[in-house]
Amino acid sequence: MSLKRAALLVLLGGAVVPAIAQQIDLPGSSGTTPATGSNAATRAARAKVDETALRYFASQGDTRRLEAEIGRLRALYPDWSPPADLFGPQTDTELEHMWKLYTDGKYSDVRSAIAARQAADPSWDPPADLIARLDESETRRRLINASDASQWSTVLRLATDTPAVLTCQNIDLLWRVAEAFAKTEQMTRSIDAFTYILTNCNDTNERLATLQKAMPLLNDDQLKGLLALERKDAEGKPEFASLRDELIRRRMGAAAANPEFTVPDDDIKRMEALSKQSDAPGDPLLLGWYLFRHDEAARSLEWFKLALDRKGGPKSAEGYVLALNFLGRALEAEPIAYEWKDSAPENNKAYLDVVISLLTADPPPVLDEIVLSRFSPVVVRDKYVPGAQGLGWYAYNTGQIPTAQAWFQTALQWDPNDEPSAYGLALTYWRTQDMARLNTIVQTWGPRSERIVALVDPVVRARLEAQNLPNMALGSFTDPLVAAAARLTPPPMNTLGVMTPVQPAARGYVRTPTPQYLTPAPGVNPLVAPGTAVGPMSYAPTAQPQMAAQPFVQTPGLANQGFVPVPTAANQPVQRSYAAPAVTPVEYRQEVAAPAPRRRAATPRRASSSASAASSGGGGSAGSAVARGWRLMDLNRPIEAVREFDYAIKYGSAKDAEDAAYGKSLAYMRKGMTNAAQIASLEAPQNPRRSMQLTGDLLAQQALVAYKDERYVEALIALDERSRIAPEQQDLMMLRAWSYYNINDIQSANRIFKALAAQGNMDAQQGVNAVIGRNRRLGYY
Amino acid sequence: MKLNLLASLFLLLACGILPVKAQNSTTPVPPEAWEAYKAAFVDQTGRVIDTANGSISHSESQGYGMLLAFLAGDRGGFERIWSFTRTELLIRDDGLVAWRWDPNSTPHVTDVNAASDGDLLISYALARAGRAWGHQPYLDSAQKIARAIGKALVIRDGNRLILLPGVTGFSVRDRKDGPILNLSYWIFETFPVMAQLAPETDWPTLSNTGLELLRQAQLGPAKLQPDWISAPAGGSVVAAEGFPAVFGYNSLRISLYLLRAGIRDTEILESYRRSWLVENGGSPAIVDIATGKVLEQLTDPGYRMLGASLACALDSAPIPVDLRRFEPTLYYPSTLFLLSWALVAERYPRCL
Repeated sequence: MSLKRAALLVLLGGAVVPAIAQQIDLPGSSGTTPATGSNAATRAARAKVDETALRYFASQGDTRRLEAEIGRLRALYPDWSPPADLFGPQTDTELEHMWKLYTDGKYSDVRSAIAARQAADPSWDPPADLIARLDESETRRRLINASDASQWSTVLRLATDTPAVLTCQNIDLLWRVAEAFAKTEQMTRSIDAFTYILTNCNDTNERLATLQKAMPLLNDDQLKGLLALERKDAEGKPEFASLRDELIRRRMGAAAANPEFTVPDDDIKRMEALSKQSDAPGDPLLLGWYLFRHDEAARSLEWFKLALDRKGGPKSAEGYVLALNFLGRALEAEPIAYEWKDSAPENNKAYLDVVISLLTADPPPVLDEIVLSRFSPVVVRDKYVPGAQGLGWYAYNTGQIPTAQAWFQTALQWDPNDEPSAYGLALTYWRTQDMARLNTIVQTWGPRSERIVALVDPVVRARLEAQNLPNMALGSFTDPLVAAAARLTPPPMNTLGVMTPVQPAARGYVRTPTPQYLTPAPGVNPLVAPGTAVGPMSYAPTAQPQMAAQPFVQTPGLANQGFVPVPTAANQPVQRSYAAPAVTPVEYRQEVAAPAPRRRAATPRRASSSASAASSGGGGSAGSAVARGWRLMDLNRPIEAVREFDYAIKYGSAKDAEDAAYGKSLAYMRKGMTNAAQIASLEAPQNPRRSMQLTGDLLAQQALVAYKDERYVEALIALDERSRIAPEQQDLMMLRAWSYYNINDIQSANRIFKALAAQGNMDAQQGVNAVIGRNRRLGYY
Repeated sequence: MKLNLLASLFLLLACGILPVKAQNSTTPVPPEAWEAYKAAFVDQTGRVIDTANGSISHSESQGYGMLLAFLAGDRGGFERIWSFTRTELLIRDDGLVAWRWDPNSTPHVTDVNAASDGDLLISYALARAGRAWGHQPYLDSAQKIARAIGKALVIRDGNRLILLPGVTGFSVRDRKDGPILNLSYWIFETFPVMAQLAPETDWPTLSNTGLELLRQAQLGPAKLQPDWISAPAGGSVVAAEGFPAVFGYNSLRISLYLLRAGIRDTEILESYRRSWLVENGGSPAIVDIATGKVLEQLTDPGYRMLGASLACALDSAPIPVDLRRFEPTLYYPSTLFLLSWALVAERYPRCL
């Protein structure tokens, strides 16, 4: 048996030699045909059969090696037969010792012994067979050394020089030669070498290992040919079955890294099954990334979660966080992102992205204090400009103007060229009416930021508005109503492209077709959809007295406080002179029968006991002062209420002060004293939810007042700012449209009028008519 | 008297100290000394072990081993060391020898870069052995390595033909202050042999550049060459950054190489004489380039033998009695001892 096997191996060796040697010698030849008789020269040289090894093995009683040697010699010399006196005494003991050293693998000793003997006896020549075997054995080692050191040319040179080593017996060398071909960009030859092995070598484990060796070197197409050489075991089971899953993983891994590639659904199904079968995190993690990068964030989530639960480490956490964030579940993602943020740079990035997307979400969510309190140290530590900017916008959008100022200033300190932060800072000055500082910023940034200039310059504003609208039309929001609601706040320059909450590698991880910029909550709010704003208009700029009498409830902070625009006949647009359109189409008066002040969850319930308690004024606990304030508000005596609230702000607990400041600003609003209301709202820190609402109300109020005072640009800015916080409803959209009309941005005005008219808004139809009439007078038709 | 001598000889043998009997030996390195060296530093596989350096081997140690085996006329030993060298280190695609082999790492070759002195020594030893012993395979291998050296390590830099210390890491492309050179890698005695093996490279010019650089690199108050120099084309030679600015274990063998090559350049040799023979009682010393101060005196017999052979060559001073026997200490000084001995035995037998 072993004799047979040895003979076979030698024959295989003879076959592979020319095969591979040919490939090396003749570039371009496919050279897989086993050549025959190319060893003729060698055979002639060995005409006299060298039997020294045979005799040595015989003398040692090493029957295994003896049989192998007999088989080898028979294969080389078909006419040869073993000598009769094989077990006779060896005459050359020195040579016998050399063979012994050789079989012990002590090749340097053999070399040394041969050289020493030749030095002593110049007429002595070592047996050619011994030298050939030494050469082969040393070549084996040297080839492995060269391969380990990535010296691929040496590997191939050695294989060419000593092709006899390339046998199934030395399958490791065959693998290394195949690898060397692949590493030197000779893929065809590499495939040939692997093909040779799978065609000729029979050891089951080695055949499997051969494919495993080929996998990192060859692509799927190249592997296909090798897989075709698969054999079946006695039970009919394909020998490479266990590799199929490995191949799927590999395909999926490649496609996860490069989303241009996809895998068949069967692969996904198989990976799902595998993920469920084992309790290792690797498969679900791979699946998660594949799905995530192929626009299936929702599906990826479950696998990331599974991987994370199986202790899949930072990559699992990163994937889970990114997927949650992508799905708009940043609030859920934040604690996990925070937990893992220090485990890898990618995790830190994921954390920052998640928080920034929370901070800049539209509408701004009310964030738990812990989210902010653990984010800000990270931002400060890393001097992370987009983080500071994000905190600035969050504070701004939730009405925390001084905080917003501080963050924007911080961001600018770290990066004086951060335009969005400068814009944010400018907006805070605008909000606090700090015109001196606002003008300073405009001076500094004028040449670099038109939108900052637009805060003080109506002409620039109108131009930007005009530029902005076509852009919006190109976006996904083609609904005319939404487009109409789009206001200024052009996207900033894409200096922050890298800071988007988007994982750049994640294809499809883009929520809008335009790049994501870190900006205030965008004004385009998909929530403002046709039919959202219903009911009678609270704002009627045309002479429709009957409209004014209608009750209205849409706009929080306006309707509920009883501000009703009352158009006057004198201000009817049709009567307006086109040359001087500076008209005040509305007037506000307090509704006598004002609805009860709205109550918010955060507002303490007030006992509706006695007016006397409310009017007693001053003194007592701050808590009761707040209660009195609210009672006076109920009685529509806002100025008196202010006094009560002031007392509570001064002497009350933080909670009382907060409530009181809120009440005070509502009171001023009731009186139409928006600036005073603005200041009052800042007297005590408000909780974000209430602060947002208050801010929204204040801005709507400011817009109305500005409009009334014919300060149309300011009205527009106030509306813009308000729409960061809440969707713009129809009444305010009408205000916006008339503001446009009055600054002669007829196109913008008409766009809104038309959109609203299409919704059945009669007032808007008036606006459309006004535009038509104006154009007629101007001779446009 | 004769009896006495025999007795003392016996005593020496008993103590494991082998007297060097150059007068009676037909080889430049006495066989007994070589056997002691082999026993101490050459293992059965033919690996020459740097005992002071984590028992690693390198192309330099293998080259020294082969040269010493040749000088000792030990064909078996030569073949043993060459077998290891070829199998384990002669694996680079460019035909040069990988320089570093670590018994405690797998794979053993931990840095596949080449070191030019190792390649020069190996090629040179092969050529001399092949010629002396009429063995063509040695000559073939010597030639392949010589050609590879000429191709990869001898380069033109500005107007100079230079010998890079290694294939990667030293040239102008690799370092701003390049080329970085090690003048003790210029083994002058090998250049004429290289010229025969690989005539396509201008070895005589390379040799002249070496001598020129040795003069330019006489830096500091002691006018000694730093181990590693930066020698930018058109700029002045300075001690290379990132290496200790000393005349140290590398440069101290320059005198040996010059004398072995028969180069008696008084301007260069004079600074060694002054430092070793005049100021340090015959011992080489590690000298700080900037101050010229001695950092460490080197008293191992191998180092003192460098001083003794210099004194012999310049002043015909006899080799001191205590250096007339060889006792292996560490690989490096022991190697220098035997090479120095061979120098004296071949060129200045009057000193023995």
